[in-house]
Amino acid sequence: MPFARLRNCLLPVLTLALCLGSGPGRAAVCVSDDADRQVCLDQPASRIIALSPGATELLFAAGAGEQVVGAVSFSDYPPAAKQLPRVGSYKRLDLEAVLALAPDLVIAWSSGNPMEQVERLQALGVPVYISEPRRFEEISTTLERLAILAGTEAVGQGAADALRSGLESLRQRYAEAAPVTVFYQVWEEPLMTINNAHLISEAIRVCGGVNVFGELGALALKISREAVLAKDPEAIIAGGMGEEDPAWLDPWKQFPSLRAVKHDNLFFVAPSSLQRPTPKMLAGTRTLCTHLDTVRARD
Amino acid sequence: MPVISARSVTALLLLTALGGLSLLLAMTLGSVSMGLEAWWRAMTGTGDPLFRELIFSLRAPRALAAFATGGLLALAGALMQVLLRNPLADPYVLGISGGAAVGALASMLLGLGTAMVSGSAFAGALLSTLLVFGLAQGRGSWTPTRLLLTGVVIAAGWGAVITFMLSLSPADRLPGMLYWLMGDLSYARSPWLAWWVLVPVLVLTVPLGRSLNVLARGPLQAAALGVAVKPLAWLVYGLASILTAVAVTTAGSVGFVGLIVPHMLRLVLGNDQRVILPASALAGGALLTVADTLARTLLAPEQLPVGVITALLGVPTFLFLLYRSR
Repeated sequence: MPFARLRNCLLPVLTLALCLGSGPGRAAVCVSDDADRQVCLDQPASRIIALSPGATELLFAAGAGEQVVGAVSFSDYPPAAKQLPRVGSYKRLDLEAVLALAPDLVIAWSSGNPMEQVERLQALGVPVYISEPRRFEEISTTLERLAILAGTEAVGQGAADALRSGLESLRQRYAEAAPVTVFYQVWEEPLMTINNAHLISEAIRVCGGVNVFGELGALALKISREAVLAKDPEAIIAGGMGEEDPAWLDPWKQFPSLRAVKHDNLFFVAPSSLQRPTPKMLAGTRTLCTHLDTVRARD
Repeated sequence: MPVISARSVTALLLLTALGGLSLLLAMTLGSVSMGLEAWWRAMTGTGDPLFRELIFSLRAPRALAAFATGGLLALAGALMQVLLRNPLADPYVLGISGGAAVGALASMLLGLGTAMVSGSAFAGALLSTLLVFGLAQGRGSWTPTRLLLTGVVIAAGWGAVITFMLSLSPADRLPGMLYWLMGDLSYARSPWLAWWVLVPVLVLTVPLGRSLNVLARGPLQAAALGVAVKPLAWLVYGLASILTAVAVTTAGSVGFVGLIVPHMLRLVLGNDQRVILPASALAGGALLTVADTLARTLLAPEQLPVGVITALLGVPTFLFLLYRSR
C-alpha cells in the first residue's frame, strides 16, 4: 500500500514540522512524556485533569495549580487539590466526568490507570501526557515538562532546580557516611518491600543506606518475616495506613534478636512523603537521612 | 408439542420493549445529566456537541456492549443448563472463563497491549473448549455427567493457574487483573463482535428448539424419540462455548447473569426452549445494561463493579419468583 507507506513516512515529518516550525503567533509547545511519546499542544494548557494523586501534586508544584480543573479520589495535596471536581478513582475513571470538564490536557499514570480508558481518551482527541517518574531526576524533568505544557516555565524550573540542589547537598553530605543496612516496609499484610529500581531505594541510597532486598527481581514484592530475620538489617523503616500510624513496627518487637530491635532502630516515615514520586520526597528523604544518622550514633 | 402460546409471544414482545428501554436509560443517564429532550436533539444531530460525544463515543458503545454481553451469557447459560441437565450449570461451569482468564492475565503479566489481552482471552477460551471436548469424548459413550465432570475439573485446574499468576504478578498490575476477573464493561473496546455472534447464534438456535426440548428430558428419551443426541449435544456445547468466549473477551468474566436469568424466565414462562432461549438473550441483555448504567451512575464519579449491581438486582427478584412458584 504505497499511500499508507507514504503517509507513515510523512506523519513524523509533519509532526516535527508542527512542533518545531510553528507559524507566527501560534506558539505550539511539545515535550516528550515517560512513554517516550511526543505530546504537542497548540497553546499552553488551560484546563488540565490529573489522573493520579501524584500527578495533581506535580502540577501544583510546577505552578500549574490554577489550570487544574479535575482530579481523582485521594488527591489530597496541596490542600487546594481537595476542592477539585472528581473524575472517579485512579483505578476506575469516570470518562464522562473527564469529557464534561472539557480538558485540553490529561496527565495519566501508566501503571495505575486502566490503559483501555486512557486509550479511549486519546482516541477521542484529548491530549494525554503519560507520567511515570521512577528516579529523582525524572521528577525534576517531569516538573519542567509539565510547566512547559502549562506555560508556567519559571515556577516549574525553580521547583525542578530546588529539588535537584536539595538532593545534591544530601548526596554530598552522606557520600562518605558509614553504610547502614535498611529494610523498607511498604505494606503489612502481605509484608511487602521494594527493590533497588524503586525510587524509595534511591532515597535510601542518597542517605548512605543499603536496601537489604535491593537485588531482588521485582519492583515491589511480597516477602516473609523469616527473610527479614535472615537479612538482619540495622534499621527497619515502615510506612503505614495513615500519616502518623507506626503500628506496622510493633510486630517486629517480638524478635529481640534482630539488630534493629535490639538498638530500637525502628522508624516510621509518613507514606505521603516517601511513596509518591513528587517534590515532597525531598522532605521524606531528609527525615530518612536523620533516622539513619540516629542508627549510626547508636552503634 | 403445542405451538408457542400467545402468552409467550406477549412475554417476548414485552422483553423486547424492556430491552429497548434499558438501552434508552443507558444513553440518557450518566454523571453528566441530560434530559430526554437533550438526548433526542443530540441523536438527531443538533444540540450540544459534548452530549453528542458522550452518547456516541461513550454511552452507546458501552450500552451496546453490555446488552450483547448479557445476552450472550444468558443464552449460553440456558444452553448449558439444557445440555448438562443441571440447574447449577452456568456459562463458566465447564472452564471456559478460566481458560480465558489465564490467557488474559498472562498477557497482562507480560505487559502486552489491550488488544492482545482480548486476543489471548479468546485463544484461552477456545483452548479450554477444545481440551474439554477432547477429554470428555473419552473412550466410552457421551453422557452429560462425563462432560460436566471433565469441565469442572479443568475449571479447577485453570483456577489454580490463575491464583498462581496473581501471586506472582507485580503489585501495579494486580488491580487491572482483579477487575478483569470481576468483569467490567469499562474495559469493553467495541460491541460489534459480540453482536455479530449473538444474533446469528440466536437465529440458529430457533430451529433447534424442539430438539432441545426433547434433550432436556434426558439423552435416552431423546434418542428414543429420534433425536441424534451426540451431534446435537456437541453442537450445543460448541455454540455455548463460542457465546461465552465472546462475552468474556468483551467484558471479562461477568458473573451471575448466565446462571440466574434462564432460571428466572423458566419460573415465569415454563421450560419451552423455543421461548426460553430468545427470552434469555433479551432479559440478560436488559439486566446487564441496567446494572451497568447503575454501576457507573449510583456513586458517580466513583465507578462500581457491575457484578455488585447484577447481584443486588437479581438475587431478590429470583428469590421472590422462586418463593411464589409452586
